[in-house]
Amino acid sequence: MTVADACIHPYPEGDSSLRRMAVEAGELGFDSIVVPDGGSLISSGVRIIPAVLIVEESVRAVSGQLRKRGDGQSLVMVNAGENGFNRAVLNLKGVHVLRNLHLTRKQSFNHICARQAADRGVAIDLDLYPVIHAAGRTRQRVLVRFGELIRLYSRYRFPLTISSNARSVLDLRSVEEITLLCSLFGMEEDDVQAALATAGGLLNPPGPVKVVP
Amino acid sequence: MKPLPPTLRTKKRYILAGIEPPGAGVDQKDLYYAITDAVTSLFGDVRAAAISPAVISSGPDYVIVRCTRGGEQDLRIALSTVIAAGDGRIVLRPRATSGTLHALRRKLPQERPAEPEHPAEVHFGGRRYDARRFQVQKVDLMEKGIKSQELLFLTQDDLEEL
Repeated sequence: MTVADACIHPYPEGDSSLRRMAVEAGELGFDSIVVPDGGSLISSGVRIIPAVLIVEESVRAVSGQLRKRGDGQSLVMVNAGENGFNRAVLNLKGVHVLRNLHLTRKQSFNHICARQAADRGVAIDLDLYPVIHAAGRTRQRVLVRFGELIRLYSRYRFPLTISSNARSVLDLRSVEEITLLCSLFGMEEDDVQAALATAGGLLNPPGPVKVVP
Repeated sequence: MKPLPPTLRTKKRYILAGIEPPGAGVDQKDLYYAITDAVTSLFGDVRAAAISPAVISSGPDYVIVRCTRGGEQDLRIALSTVIAAGDGRIVLRPRATSGTLHALRRKLPQERPAEPEHPAEVHFGGRRYDARRFQVQKVDLMEKGIKSQELLFLTQDDLEEL
């Protein structure tokens, strides 16, 4: 079972090199990290999972990006939008993670989306960056949103991922700290462990055994 | 004045947390303000009063924080949300919780991470930095200058590739 941080941003986006991020993540209890536009490699015993980050406003543009950049070797993460957009994206083949739901409106991810995500095995990402760095009304809104997602999760059991969106080694948090932070919005420890293990298996989901000639 | 019997005193818990980056040189008062602000921001005044966080002692790479019994979990969560103290960016990594200071001090690492060596000058991306090396492979670069100095976190291998 892997323990993965589902999105970090090393240098030049952040202030820490990929190698340093891997060293620190290993010390904090992770064995994998997901890096947008990174290469598939192992650094300091930590597996780097490459990802493609798609930020588009229309489903057609997302499909285009999927054709252009989806190589089958990278985790495809799409930024969420309105309800119709999310439902369409959840139906696209090749999408692994729907992220940034805390930045969208309340009804953008409802029970229908939750059922779709569960059926198609698309993970929903919980970004802990605003929980740690924001304060006041912004953080309250994020906590409420994550609480709603956890309520849907407990009913439909769609895959979840947890990301720190760290741009520095100082933004990374240990597995224990993440478990405590997730308790703020009602996530149980077992669910946190399952969510941390999700990213490592999204590229190779379990399925029936295939006979390769 | 007769002291309060031990059975009537408020039970305390002590949390040991590591300070990163090493050598940040954070003032104890700044740490106290950062921690109390984090607790109040996350849990509000009422809960913060019940937790009663207080900085007992601190060193270059650790801090010991006191709270009332039952508030240690909330305090650990709040410590995870501390991102700065004074003018510097830091992170506090909770390492151990104990009911007595004596027991917690025994949990302090015997061998502290080596103090960063005398900083060496490094050129990176057309800028000049002071490089501080520690734990064999980690290298922190601090931009030379008077204000808004950039901080970079690299490894020895990254520097050798320059």
